[in-house]
Amino acid sequence: MLVMIFSWGNYTVARKVQDQLGRNIVIPTALKRIVSLAPSLTECMFALENGNKLVGVTKYSDYPPQAVQLPKVGSYVNLDLEKIVSLQPDLCLATKDGNPIKVIDRLEELGIPVYALDPRNLSTVMETINELGQLLKAQKKSSKVVQGMKKRVELIKKRVAKTNSRPRVFFQIGSSPIVSVGSRTFIHELIKLAGGVNVAAGSVDYPRFSREEVLILNPDIIVINSMTRDQQILEWAKQRWSEFPNLPAVKKKQIYGVNSDYFNRAGPRLVKGLEILAGLFHPEMFPKAKN
Amino acid sequence: MERDSQRGRYVLKRILFVSSGLMLLLAIMFYLGLAIGSTGYDLFEVLEGLFFANQDNTESVAQTIIWQIRLPRVLLATFVGGTLGVGGLVFQALLRNPLAEPYILGISGGSAVGAIVGMMLGLAMFPGVAGLAFLGSIVTLIVVLFIATGRRLFQENSLLLAGVMVNAFCSAIIMFLISMTRNAKLQNVLFWLMGDLSNTVLEQTLALGCILLPCFIFVFIMARPMNILQLGRETALSLGVHVLGVTLSLLIVTSLIVSAIVCLSGLVGFVGLVIPHILRLVLGSDHRILVPASVIGGGVFMVGCDLLARSLPSQGELPVGVVTAIIGAPLFIFLLYRSKT
Repeated sequence: MLVMIFSWGNYTVARKVQDQLGRNIVIPTALKRIVSLAPSLTECMFALENGNKLVGVTKYSDYPPQAVQLPKVGSYVNLDLEKIVSLQPDLCLATKDGNPIKVIDRLEELGIPVYALDPRNLSTVMETINELGQLLKAQKKSSKVVQGMKKRVELIKKRVAKTNSRPRVFFQIGSSPIVSVGSRTFIHELIKLAGGVNVAAGSVDYPRFSREEVLILNPDIIVINSMTRDQQILEWAKQRWSEFPNLPAVKKKQIYGVNSDYFNRAGPRLVKGLEILAGLFHPEMFPKAKN
Repeated sequence: MERDSQRGRYVLKRILFVSSGLMLLLAIMFYLGLAIGSTGYDLFEVLEGLFFANQDNTESVAQTIIWQIRLPRVLLATFVGGTLGVGGLVFQALLRNPLAEPYILGISGGSAVGAIVGMMLGLAMFPGVAGLAFLGSIVTLIVVLFIATGRRLFQENSLLLAGVMVNAFCSAIIMFLISMTRNAKLQNVLFWLMGDLSNTVLEQTLALGCILLPCFIFVFIMARPMNILQLGRETALSLGVHVLGVTLSLLIVTSLIVSAIVCLSGLVGFVGLVIPHILRLVLGSDHRILVPASVIGGGVFMVGCDLLARSLPSQGELPVGVVTAIIGAPLFIFLLYRSKT
């Protein structure tokens, strides 16, 4: 009890906030030590020029490069509770989808407030960034970041509207087994915005496919996302598709590898992912963007 | 009469001597378990933190880590080890097979299937998940015994083969269930299946202790009949032991505590093989001594394995079942080889 009172003494004023899950939490007015429990949130923090407040990040937080130097608190599903506590954060940032609720509950029991975010699509990512801006008292920066994102999305929308071609796209997020994305995912939204048709659309978020099911879907373009360190897997996955010369995507030589960091992380870089896809789907409209 | 009571006193003395020796070992392990972790504190600092409450802020973080993160974990490791140690001992005694163990016979696998079904149905830990886990363990127990006792009662190889098959079946069912579910919460299941002691809360661990303790005492009371059972079924019957009653009650109690352990910590194998074997080698075959020794010795072994699981990888941690299997599986093969020659 004494310990509690003592640590309260450190805070000039505490404030009450509600996170995106509607949980009420009490945090100090001036946040100084933050632990980010997901790579996407780390990216958001740095985008808001508040990276210097981070005292801990998760294992694969590798962007921007400064994040690599920060202490690691385990991977985002397998958090190292002890490490988090030892960093004495005054706030942890968590995501609803990735971080196990058990760990979040434990952190709160240990007296560390956890602000949970739940970005489900591009517009809620922007909301999330604004909300983080409010939390960190960096509203100016956050609205600038969000405005920038909106502008780039609008530009893509405008150009895509000018063309009638809507290629059928198979977005492969896993290669053995083959896994794609359903309608409620970021990637589905990005494909649609970039002027493509997601052939795997459906109610299952991450549906599995056999090779023959993909052949029947007849995609014009296959996009394989892989981490930069998995170049071999990407080459192998491309090789496997080239065994089916009648597949439109193979015929037109439209099998592409993309960096998964642009598509898996609910942060500002999703827009970059959108630009990459638009460049792949409509190279005539985006001559520069093609990678 | 005089000789009997003298002998009784001698056994009691031995029990106390062996138990307190192992308890000392457990205390040392326990202390190491509290002192070593991903953030690392000085051994003396921990001692200080344990006994002197300090209002200094940095000290309080150390205390939080030791008391609220490491203590529940080390305590759970002790319980898991003790349960699996005594579980192995009971199975080996009742089935009169040195290689019997809850994990190898598929009892753990069966309760894991039950637990996963419970989780998928979104049931609460108690009574839902735990109840189904217990049901799963009992069903596999019956199936294994049924297959194994077909013609020759408890024949060594048939029992193991039945266990191996039931185990394979259970892991297939588990993979099937995981593949069929859309529930993202089950992502962690694979990690849990390899034996995972992280994320324990003190209250939960203490509640587990309240279930385990009476069961341990029950097994201890049954130690004498277990000794007599070693002489063979007929002899035991002629000495007035209710063989069926003893066997059934012990198997059910053991399945109960094993399934409780599986719910909290997943599948941890081979502890029930390693501990009773080492202890029998050192202490002989009197179950009155072996039962408490297996509980405490299992705890020592498990806390040690958990310590390795936490400190071996430079980042993150290993599931503790990996460590016990790396130590236990070769021993199993060695014992199998020795029993053949």
